[in-house]
Amino acid sequence: MPVSTLSAERLRSLLTLPLSDLALDDLLFASKAEIETREGDALTLSVTPDRLDLLSEGGLSFYLAGATDAATGLPRLHEVPNPPSRTLSVDASVVPLRPYISAVVVNAPAGGTGLDDGTLAESIRFQELLHATIGRDRRAASLGIYPVERLEFPLRYASEPLSEVRFVPLDGSEEVGAEQFFADHPMAARYSALGRSDGHCLTLRDGNGIVLSLPPILNGRTAGEARLGDRSLLVGATGTRERAVQELVGLLLAVFAARGWSVAPVAVVSPGGSRSAGNGVYQPRSVLLPSAVLRGITGEPLAPAEIERRLGRARLAPRPHSGGWMVEVPPWRPDLLTPVDLAEDVVLIAGVRPQDGILLPSRTRGRRLAETRFRRRMRSTLTGLGFAEPHTPLLVSAETLERAGDSGALRLRNPVSAEFSVLRDRMLLSHLDVLRRNTRHGYPQRFAEVGPVIVRSDQAESGGETRYHAGLVIASETAGFADVASLVDYLLRSVDVVAVREPIERTALIPGRAARARVAGESIAELGEIQPRILVELGVPVPAAWAEVDLTGLWTLLGRHDSP
Amino acid sequence: MSDPLEENSEGGAPISLSPPERAVLVALRNAPSLPLEEEDVVRESGLAADTVRGSLQRLRSKHFAVVDEEHLTVRSPSPRGRSALEVGLPERRFLEALRRRGGSLSSEEATAEGLSDEERSAAVGILRRRQLLADGFPFRLRSPKDDEDRLLPEEVVLKQLANGEEDLDEAILAALERRGLVRSEHRTVRRWAPSEEGRRLPLSAEGQELSGAVSPADLVSGAWKGRTYRPYDVRAPVPYARGVRENPYVAWLDEFADILVGLGFEEATGPLLETEFWNNDVLFMPQDHPARSIHDAFWPEGVTGRPPAADLLARVAAAHEGRALPGETAPLGPGWGGRYDETVAIRPVLRSQTTAVSARYLARHPTPPFRTFSIDRNFRVESVDARHHLEFQQCEGIVGEEGVTLRHLVGIFRELTEAIGIPELKIRPSYFPFTEPSIEGYVRHPRLGWIEALPGGLFRPEVLQPLGVEVPVAAWGIGVTRLAMVALGKGDIRELFSDDLDELTRGGA
Repeated sequence: MPVSTLSAERLRSLLTLPLSDLALDDLLFASKAEIETREGDALTLSVTPDRLDLLSEGGLSFYLAGATDAATGLPRLHEVPNPPSRTLSVDASVVPLRPYISAVVVNAPAGGTGLDDGTLAESIRFQELLHATIGRDRRAASLGIYPVERLEFPLRYASEPLSEVRFVPLDGSEEVGAEQFFADHPMAARYSALGRSDGHCLTLRDGNGIVLSLPPILNGRTAGEARLGDRSLLVGATGTRERAVQELVGLLLAVFAARGWSVAPVAVVSPGGSRSAGNGVYQPRSVLLPSAVLRGITGEPLAPAEIERRLGRARLAPRPHSGGWMVEVPPWRPDLLTPVDLAEDVVLIAGVRPQDGILLPSRTRGRRLAETRFRRRMRSTLTGLGFAEPHTPLLVSAETLERAGDSGALRLRNPVSAEFSVLRDRMLLSHLDVLRRNTRHGYPQRFAEVGPVIVRSDQAESGGETRYHAGLVIASETAGFADVASLVDYLLRSVDVVAVREPIERTALIPGRAARARVAGESIAELGEIQPRILVELGVPVPAAWAEVDLTGLWTLLGRHDSP
Repeated sequence: MSDPLEENSEGGAPISLSPPERAVLVALRNAPSLPLEEEDVVRESGLAADTVRGSLQRLRSKHFAVVDEEHLTVRSPSPRGRSALEVGLPERRFLEALRRRGGSLSSEEATAEGLSDEERSAAVGILRRRQLLADGFPFRLRSPKDDEDRLLPEEVVLKQLANGEEDLDEAILAALERRGLVRSEHRTVRRWAPSEEGRRLPLSAEGQELSGAVSPADLVSGAWKGRTYRPYDVRAPVPYARGVRENPYVAWLDEFADILVGLGFEEATGPLLETEFWNNDVLFMPQDHPARSIHDAFWPEGVTGRPPAADLLARVAAAHEGRALPGETAPLGPGWGGRYDETVAIRPVLRSQTTAVSARYLARHPTPPFRTFSIDRNFRVESVDARHHLEFQQCEGIVGEEGVTLRHLVGIFRELTEAIGIPELKIRPSYFPFTEPSIEGYVRHPRLGWIEALPGGLFRPEVLQPLGVEVPVAAWGIGVTRLAMVALGKGDIRELFSDDLDELTRGGA
């Protein structure tokens, strides 16, 4: 879940009503945000991935104002026209690497002090959060904020030879060439693959040729550094996914809209020469909410006035439309794309209580799978035979695999620890660990477990088949081959099957005391006495015998089928 | 047949006495004076000493007899001491030899008189310390007129000890003990008397012969007929029994499944090693969703997957790309943007959500009504701690038919939590790419507080329509492992992966 730390003071400054900590807790529980910690002014929240707007003080203030009925409907985002010269041209050279760009200009409210500490801090923090989430660590999209007062339009987004690019990096004081920048700078080391290719790099320059930034890596200092008191800012995003680019700009606008900043478009001229007005990124979108879709989710008809009231509290603007409503959605709500998305807001803004639940009469017949019942019977039989039943993870250690040998068990590409790095293909792998972990207890020990294993299979869609095995172990002064062989016979006899044993060789078993049990030519079980070498390694002071029955194989042999 | 059981003094459960115990108790109760030492009881009861000793101890453990124990040190002449009393102590024999030899004795003559070297040197040492023997050789008496008896108190004390006299000189006794002529024994003298309970205990008819174990021979011969078996002290401690039973967590999962069966749910199943298609794509999870990364899901090495049926793949791809499904005119929604990548779809992954099982079920059975569930393992890249394990069980379920709404999903949450005895449930909004709306049920753990355990929602059209399902479907993937923690009172998720054989065989709730 995305997490970020907000300023409680800045949040409260954006609300018209006082809000106690307790009231905030309750309001957030009913939202998609949750308080993780609260220390002084620092309010750390987590949100569900679809409501990143709640991780900005601006976006959260919109939500809270609606939930407390302090303000309803679409938050106001004042639009001012831009001079026609405010354009951004996109050169065809960017298309292979990072084709999409979008930008708007935001202007501070008249009479104010311009960009203040809080707004600057929040916009930087929120920008980084957006990079990590929707931006997929800048790969899909990334943002930049630039001072309009220190740059000249029109802007140009292009890919240029490294040798022709020089700029002062945002965190530097000397002008450097792009070749040197990509060789030395830590941000370049991390993101160069996203903004450089074949001796070229992406650039965003202003009308004077000053480098605003090398997208998506770093801004330049001259025209790429927003400062306190700035009254007009360019908010732009580049990326490989157009929707992500639009979403990032729209979400960041919540920071400025909540503080009364106005917005103006920046027209984009595409490589083909077509020109878009640039206002689509901030103007409310219209999404249809048919009544039938809403009723299908709530299960009860809601009065039109109630639906409109709820949409208003969700900070949306509905207007009646044929068969439902056309709902205006602000740019910082990219999660609202389809009717069911809107229906969710209508339902959740009113809260969901357990007592609202109703039980649907059943029109189906419940049952367990026959194969599950078969495995359950086998477990029960093993319990009746005096075997304790451990419950062990499917993931086992590489060390155990090495110890047991003879395995085609799959390994993980990305294990989190050596302890859980192999997908067992036999219960034996887990059960050797059970023996090791129980050496402090007395003997005899008898345990058995029915559990899943994964074996390589060309037939399986994923290349690995899930099968169920019954593994059993006896460790005692007298444990031996005959004990487990008789038990295998018993288990098979319980389903009217007789097996033939034949000798096999297994690394984990004493030569001459290892066998497989065949039924109709199929290997259904393996068994034997565990090698003394392994017992000593495990710290087991008595002999141990093991058997493992392939219950999936046995079930297939029995010719019984499920249709799950 | 008389009742071999005696009522105990508190009128509670009967207490049994064996015939020897009864005889010994009778002897104690009838004794003219108390207390009695063991040998007195032997005499009074006519039983063997060992039998009396055992019976007395058992009567004591049953609180029918009390004992006063005195710990004594008892000295007596050792075998060597007794021999010395017969032939004379070495110093006495040395003096007599001196007298026979006219007051002078050489070492050779002492040997000839029957004194060993050891006896001679012991006698000379003692006689010189008593000032009876002059220094130098041959040995001579310092003064022949001395009163020898007075001057050999060891001889006197040894004789007195042999005669059973008491209050003897401790220092001389200790000296005799050092010379091996006297030995000490530490004895406990027990003096027995009946307790108040023992005095009051009503004894049944005497002479009843009680039998011990039921023997096979008795059964064959018919000797058991008419025989009365000696009752046991049923309160006595017994060996610690161990036993086996189903693993409590696995059994709990079975019970949970039974609840669902009772609500009309049919079980479904699916593989643990899935392709990304079934684990994510068919569920409308965007292909670049963070939960699909190598940091969140486990990827096996050395295997490759295969695509699903071509028509299903095409429909799912269309939903992801925001295109109309094949045969349709309008798209379901804008999709996720970007191109759907089939090479991602066939990548094998350890299943991270049992929702994949529901998707497989719907692909096979798109016709309503359906109610299915699956309780099975899932795997996610997690650090293992009290609340998280990289391997955990989910209970996946779906209900699909005309008229299914969010309220029915809430109703199922409430029904399930009530069925397993969890009284407190609260619900808040949530988010899953494949459901809209999405909710999450929280249950209260006695130690961990509110924990999220019941995520669910209504499947999005982008999930249902590519699968050919035309009715609303409520779906959930309950964190059944967390519910089990609440229901079984476990504070640590790792306790559910239990392989401690001591604990598993100990019994208990």
